[in-house]
Amino acid sequence: MTEKRTIVIDPVTRVEGHAKITLHLDEQGEVSDARFHVTQFRGFEKLCEGRPFTEMPSLMARICGICPVSHLIASAKACDALLAVRIPPTAEKLRRIFNMAQIVQSHALSVFHLSSPDLLLGMDADPAKSNLWGVAERDPQLARDGIRLRQFGQQIIERLGGKRIHPAWVVPGGVSEPLSLENRDAILATIPEALAIALRTLAWYKQISRAFREEIGSFGNFPSLFMGMVKEDGSITFYDGKIRMGDAAGSMVADGLDATRYFDYLGEKVESWSYLKSAYYKPRGYPEGMYRVGPLARLNVVDRCGTEHADQELAEFKELQRAAVLSSFHYHQARLIEILYCVERLEQLLNDPEILSEHVRAEAKANALEGIGASEAPRGTLFHHYKIDEQGLVRWANLIIATGQNNLAMNRSVLQVAKHFVRGNELLPGMLNRVEAVIRTYDPCLSCSTHAIGEMALRIQLVGPAGRVVSEATRP
Amino acid sequence: MPRVLIVACGNPLRCDDGLAWRAVEELHRLCLPQDVEIIAQHQLTPELSSPVSQVERVLFLDAARRGQPGELRCEPVLPLHASGAFTHDFSPASILSLSQELYGKAPQAYVISLSGECFDHGETISATVETTLPRFIELVVRLTEESLRTGYPLSPSVCE
Repeated sequence: MTEKRTIVIDPVTRVEGHAKITLHLDEQGEVSDARFHVTQFRGFEKLCEGRPFTEMPSLMARICGICPVSHLIASAKACDALLAVRIPPTAEKLRRIFNMAQIVQSHALSVFHLSSPDLLLGMDADPAKSNLWGVAERDPQLARDGIRLRQFGQQIIERLGGKRIHPAWVVPGGVSEPLSLENRDAILATIPEALAIALRTLAWYKQISRAFREEIGSFGNFPSLFMGMVKEDGSITFYDGKIRMGDAAGSMVADGLDATRYFDYLGEKVESWSYLKSAYYKPRGYPEGMYRVGPLARLNVVDRCGTEHADQELAEFKELQRAAVLSSFHYHQARLIEILYCVERLEQLLNDPEILSEHVRAEAKANALEGIGASEAPRGTLFHHYKIDEQGLVRWANLIIATGQNNLAMNRSVLQVAKHFVRGNELLPGMLNRVEAVIRTYDPCLSCSTHAIGEMALRIQLVGPAGRVVSEATRP
Repeated sequence: MPRVLIVACGNPLRCDDGLAWRAVEELHRLCLPQDVEIIAQHQLTPELSSPVSQVERVLFLDAARRGQPGELRCEPVLPLHASGAFTHDFSPASILSLSQELYGKAPQAYVISLSGECFDHGETISATVETTLPRFIELVVRLTEESLRTGYPLSPSVCE
């Protein structure tokens, strides 16, 4: 007699944080449903209540060790709104540099350290070798490039913020210190190498991605909305702009949305099986309002990047599919294009005559009781929303994180991949690796989105209808 | 170009886990020679393999959970290929291995550790560790000076 079974992948490997995947099989051993569960809980929105709002940027940066800068930026912008000040132009440019350095190092982590084993060694590679050592053995230059690009971003953050992780340089009203000539020149000297790495990695990626036709066709390849921030002229921005929502046909369903009115058009739903909330576009309801954010979404909604090489790559990217680029596999390419753009744009900003100005902070006390800050983090649009009392103490906070906004799409992607590759009667490592790999395309940051680091082994269980473990396998 | 690299590892917000950071503060005050570079990190990351490959000797400083609180250890470490799927659990041995793999060089290295007593939330270190910390720093300074004096591998007794 056949029976319904469940496959549990717990924890999911090579992602930032704790999660598990459950695949439900029907009587024929075919996948009938799939769930991506985020099992860690952090609760930053609650623990910041009662703290002085001036502490918020530093406190919020502790949400994540990978993208603390993103939280610093969004939090500081919310605090600027509480001060009701316009920060000095140089401070804004320095924050842009800081944010882009963070995007480079975070994207490099995703592409080189987390996903390159799949891309270089293949989805069916021996799990014991599917790691940085496997990459180093097969293509040491690629591994060195990943390390160098991460260093490039981290060193900029360190030169500006004083340290690589959890820097406190971004403050309400601007930044705490101007950029020195020495640091400016030192960063500029590293640009040519970073640019060369970005260009050759894109060339490599476009070559090897041809071998993944089946994955491209089944990794989150479905219609959805795409959301991102754009400048007035429709070009890419990571710091400030209006929100655009595009659809699968490549049309814009909403444009010029005010990021500080996010609650008018974005909703969040809590599901019992995950600590990660699911965001949706309110006018379409839940779950039809599913949308994606991050590199793929940003490149789908922008008209141009505004730098020479990135614009060439963007034009090529937009030709990948007929209308909007739907397959989540293409997040990888979008990520590399954004690295390229950031490197080019960093050079422009560092050569700006105003960049060494010493006027980098606007001083004020709280002048408003509510403030919202939004920016583009590596994984997508990030919102910080605070309410304070007359004493300047935080009374309420709400954070909308990129990974939560991708939650519906990640779940649907897992189901699509599982239905395509998993056959319950014969579980092979390559099948399950693909289920994890589609999650990696989104580069979810679960520490951020649940507002723990732990064991990163993979455990797969087959559980019968009575809850009995039918079969179990572990991966190093 | 630095000849000796000191890598301090730990979390200064978890009491004794941050002892290596405290040691680094003191080492900065002691003004070590220019050819000594000091890096303090929360955890070891693959990026360290690059600076590690460029020096003659590496000293990894860390708090230990094993042993009696206040127990001081100095142990040579050799490259060891890690088999883990991710990079959160990088060890000094795996950093050396990656350095060898990617840059063709793995310098002589030591792990200098001090057993902690309290790893709870907090920025203070325990009295036991506080008492032993000067000896820990003394050992780091001695190994650094020894490393700069001779380009040869240090004798096994250097840790004694």
